[in-house]
Amino acid sequence: MTRSAVEQLVETASLTGREIMERYPDRQFFGFTCSYWPEELVLAAGMEPLRLFPVNTRAMPPELPSFSCSLARGVLAELKGTGLKKLAGLGQAQTCDTMQCLGSIAQGAFPEQVLELVPPVLLAAPGAREYYHEELKALWQKLLGLSGEAAKEENIAAALNIFQRMRQLVRQVDEMRPRLPSPLVASLLRAGQLMPRQEYVTLLEEAVTALAGYEETGTGKIGILLSGPVLEKDSLYLMIEELGGRVLVDDTCTGTRHYAEDPAEEAGAGRAGSVEGLLEQVARRHLTMPLCPCRHRRLEERSEYLQSQARERGVRGAILVVRKYCEPHAFDAVPVAKALQQQGIKALVLELEGADVGGQERTRLQAFLESLG
Amino acid sequence: MTEKRSYRRLESTKELQRVMTRYYGMSNYFRYWGKPLGRKLAWVTSGAPVELLRVFKIHPVYPEQYGAICGSRKVSGELCQVAEAQGYNQDLCSYARAHIGSILRPDLAPMKGLPKPDLLVACTNICGTVLKWYEALARILQVPLIVIDTPYQPGEVTPQAKQYVLRQLEAAVVELERVTGVRFNEKKLDTIAEKSRQVTTLWREIKDLCAAKPSPLNAPDLFIHMAPIVVLRGTDTGVKYYSLLKKEVEQRVQEGVGALEQEKVRLVWDNIAIWPHLFKFFKMFTERGACFVADTYTGGWAMDFSEGNTMETLATTYTEVFLNRSAQYRARQIIDQIRQFDADGFVMHSNRS
Ligand code: SF4
Ligand code: SF4
Repeated sequence: MTRSAVEQLVETASLTGREIMERYPDRQFFGFTCSYWPEELVLAAGMEPLRLFPVNTRAMPPELPSFSCSLARGVLAELKGTGLKKLAGLGQAQTCDTMQCLGSIAQGAFPEQVLELVPPVLLAAPGAREYYHEELKALWQKLLGLSGEAAKEENIAAALNIFQRMRQLVRQVDEMRPRLPSPLVASLLRAGQLMPRQEYVTLLEEAVTALAGYEETGTGKIGILLSGPVLEKDSLYLMIEELGGRVLVDDTCTGTRHYAEDPAEEAGAGRAGSVEGLLEQVARRHLTMPLCPCRHRRLEERSEYLQSQARERGVRGAILVVRKYCEPHAFDAVPVAKALQQQGIKALVLELEGADVGGQERTRLQAFLESLG
Repeated sequence: MTEKRSYRRLESTKELQRVMTRYYGMSNYFRYWGKPLGRKLAWVTSGAPVELLRVFKIHPVYPEQYGAICGSRKVSGELCQVAEAQGYNQDLCSYARAHIGSILRPDLAPMKGLPKPDLLVACTNICGTVLKWYEALARILQVPLIVIDTPYQPGEVTPQAKQYVLRQLEAAVVELERVTGVRFNEKKLDTIAEKSRQVTTLWREIKDLCAAKPSPLNAPDLFIHMAPIVVLRGTDTGVKYYSLLKKEVEQRVQEGVGALEQEKVRLVWDNIAIWPHLFKFFKMFTERGACFVADTYTGGWAMDFSEGNTMETLATTYTEVFLNRSAQYRARQIIDQIRQFDADGFVMHSNRS
């Protein structure tokens, strides 16, 4: 019996990086960790981008202090293990101090294969666009060097089209959130950071058509805004759903924010197949997409953005996830919670070691959801 | 029976205390006279291009140094709890938490907290935390925030990074003109940058004198005497102070006088000082004749001011600081120090703050 597209995507979302590489042995995979990594460039250079998630969040590789977040520790443990030996390379986009160290450590271990990219922190600063363009240009050459491919216009155009289509489809899925169980949406979106992108788009097209007729309604569910870093598993989504909540806004690095782009910018985006067009496109998206806590455009922009998302989707509560030892998200939780509360939306700051939730979190979430009535 | 001292005190320490008391007195003076006299005060990160502020006669005050003061006066714990009660996670940098706590509860804070600023200036060259810390300050205090983004440099400093930082410095000048109502004067910047160059050169030369055997200074000396390099770059007072210190250190070298009574082991220290237990901690080493003849932390301010137009120099100098570089660069730096100072080993301090 053939499995439906939805089933295939959900199953793929549960695989580890190693399992993904085993499933597609003819592909050259290139690992990355941050949503600011330009996947389009990887694909246009002939490789498949593969987001690296920690398999063991308790891993304590000696190179990183134990007070580093479990994402960095877990990914480093994976890199050091044999599981990722087949990666063509690793891309580190400069994010926080922890990831900066991880990049350096990986660079020391695999000097030829680790490519570092430093996007501007101040996305709207004077000179940021020109600076980032040069950074991307240098990266593009290095990616071609790794893959051994030459720059081809048709590959560039194809990569841009795949990502454009993917983001359109994700927007459609995002619109369906009120009707779809939250863990299902989380899986659908995470699969797109793991499997080969063309295959993903094909399956997601099918899934979106199938889900359009999906009858389950979210009536009676409490609308939730979820914000946080990478969530490599559905555990939290599942618990929210079990306790009567539904994630209507997903501002996590693995959720909608990963795919988001400023609609005004997207409308103006050229589909040209030139290298310049490719770099322009990536730079434009990264400089204008909704902020993560590691970047800055305007002081209250992130809070205001989340306020507007909460308003548009009619959420009643917000869950702000902080990965233990993560400074950027922990700092931001304070003003974001305050801003949402001013809008009448209660916020719960939930500190997690990884993406798994257990009994302790259940008690807190239950009390929180009950308080929302 | 009195314990035998294994440690020599520097004469310059008295002058250091005078200089720093005057600096904090001056900061306090701004608390009352800044507004009527139309003089502005800024809170700045330790790696910010403070020379630009001095052109506009803006008095810089350093929350990080204040964090260290809170640590050495052992009030950090209480102040951190104040910040934690406001939702700041207890794993966040303790300098930031203590400082935020001092704003919220000045009654618990040394000097009743720092005088309130007219603006905030953060430069990302020392860590990513400062962006979030200063964003929090801007929200609490509702004053303008200038951030200079000095991109992390995994390899050699790139031309695009220099250009990007330069563009931001130019924009910062416009913002400073707006905040102060004073026109930018390039000549004045040249003069101030020249003083900074002299101060940082003197500091480097002082540090280099520790290659002598026995070493005239131990790391705690450097930690204590680095205060003016942080707060007085670009000033005559800074130049004068380090000239005095250099003389004393040179004299120690000429006379063969070491920081320790008897130097048996030479070590290199990596990372920030343990402020609350500075001497107590290092005593463990001094008692055994181990002297820290060099360190990476205080070297952060022994910058090499590159040649060229002053704005370009500032852009490059503040981007290439070691804290903004890769682990490989920093490892090379430690290896070079071990060689230059003929050290027997090094100690890496893993710091959570
Ligand atoms: S929080 Fe920002 S910088 Fe960190 S992984 Fe997510 S997108 Fe990247
Ligand atoms: S979770 Fe936080 S600390 Fe960890 S890599 Fe992401 S931004 Fe950095």
